[in-house]
Amino acid sequence: MIRIILISIFLCVQSCTKVDLVPSTADELISKIKQSKGEKAVLLNIWALWCDPCVEEFPMIVDLGVEHHDLEVVFISADFDDQVGEVRDFLDRNGVGPVSYIKKEKDESFILGIHPSWTGSLPFTIVYAKNSGNIVDLWEGEYPESRFRTAIEVALKS
Amino acid sequence: MKNIITFILLFSINEASELAIGSLMPETDHQMVKTNGKNLTLSDAKGDKGTLVIFSSNTCPWVIRWEDRYVSITESYSSKGIGVIAVNSNASRFDDRESLGKMKSHAREKNYNFPYVQDPEAKLAMAFGATKTPHIYLFDNKDRLVYRGAIDDNARNANSVEEHFLSNAIEELITGQPISKTTSKAIGCSIKFP
Repeated sequence: MIRIILISIFLCVQSCTKVDLVPSTADELISKIKQSKGEKAVLLNIWALWCDPCVEEFPMIVDLGVEHHDLEVVFISADFDDQVGEVRDFLDRNGVGPVSYIKKEKDESFILGIHPSWTGSLPFTIVYAKNSGNIVDLWEGEYPESRFRTAIEVALKS
Repeated sequence: MKNIITFILLFSINEASELAIGSLMPETDHQMVKTNGKNLTLSDAKGDKGTLVIFSSNTCPWVIRWEDRYVSITESYSSKGIGVIAVNSNASRFDDRESLGKMKSHAREKNYNFPYVQDPEAKLAMAFGATKTPHIYLFDNKDRLVYRGAIDDNARNANSVEEHFLSNAIEELITGQPISKTTSKAIGCSIKFP
């Protein structure tokens, strides 16, 4: 019996901690974000393992999600599809889950579907208001935590 | 209310201001540094039929997947009057991974057949509104921008490309046809400005 429990624990460590990494188009992701309207503000962050600024700001964004109960943080990886394992490991190490996303369409349609003003540079962040669902702020590149906090504050009130 | 007004301002500041199609090539006399240490300007790099400016990097994985195509495009079109120049504007990394020495070894290793230059203070990237690598700008022989964006629609596999954005634009340019697709978008590494 003890052996079965130990084997179960071992198997769980191998699989239960793995985030469910869902391949997604921009349209699918935006539809999901719209479902949060009226319930939660949303912070969408598009990142990649190879993008140093993305990796640097990532834990701070995770912490902001933990800190704000009315904020849903949605990450979508723009990594190549041969890096799925590494992406999952990174998400697990940073406590992201149970679900996260990875881009599954070509760059141009993905970029235009996320927001037409995005040039394609990473990281890219959009903050959506809790009640209206409108975009409160968006930016390319790495910005100080204060910009995230101000955007979240506005998003939670509007 | 004050916060909302602030955000409207931030929005407008943050909107990317890429060089518009039809714009004149900016900063043509900006002195950049080749991998042999000598200076080069965009004016020096111009071709008779047009000029291709590629914002690039030694280390960006998106560049790594695409840069063989820089070489094949140059092979195909430099003899047809297209001048090609790759520009490294990652000024905050010039002391490290994007140093002139590393650019030199990178260019040699990848068989670059075009000048690869360092853009002091990222002045050229700022003037172009370039934000990432690779970021492509094609000008005609009157220095007007005719195409801006990506090389093609598949960074990962050159054999799986469905739309050859840049090659198509160059073909149209050198044969005197209107450019059918003047802009495209692709994901890339952010330029590391000073």
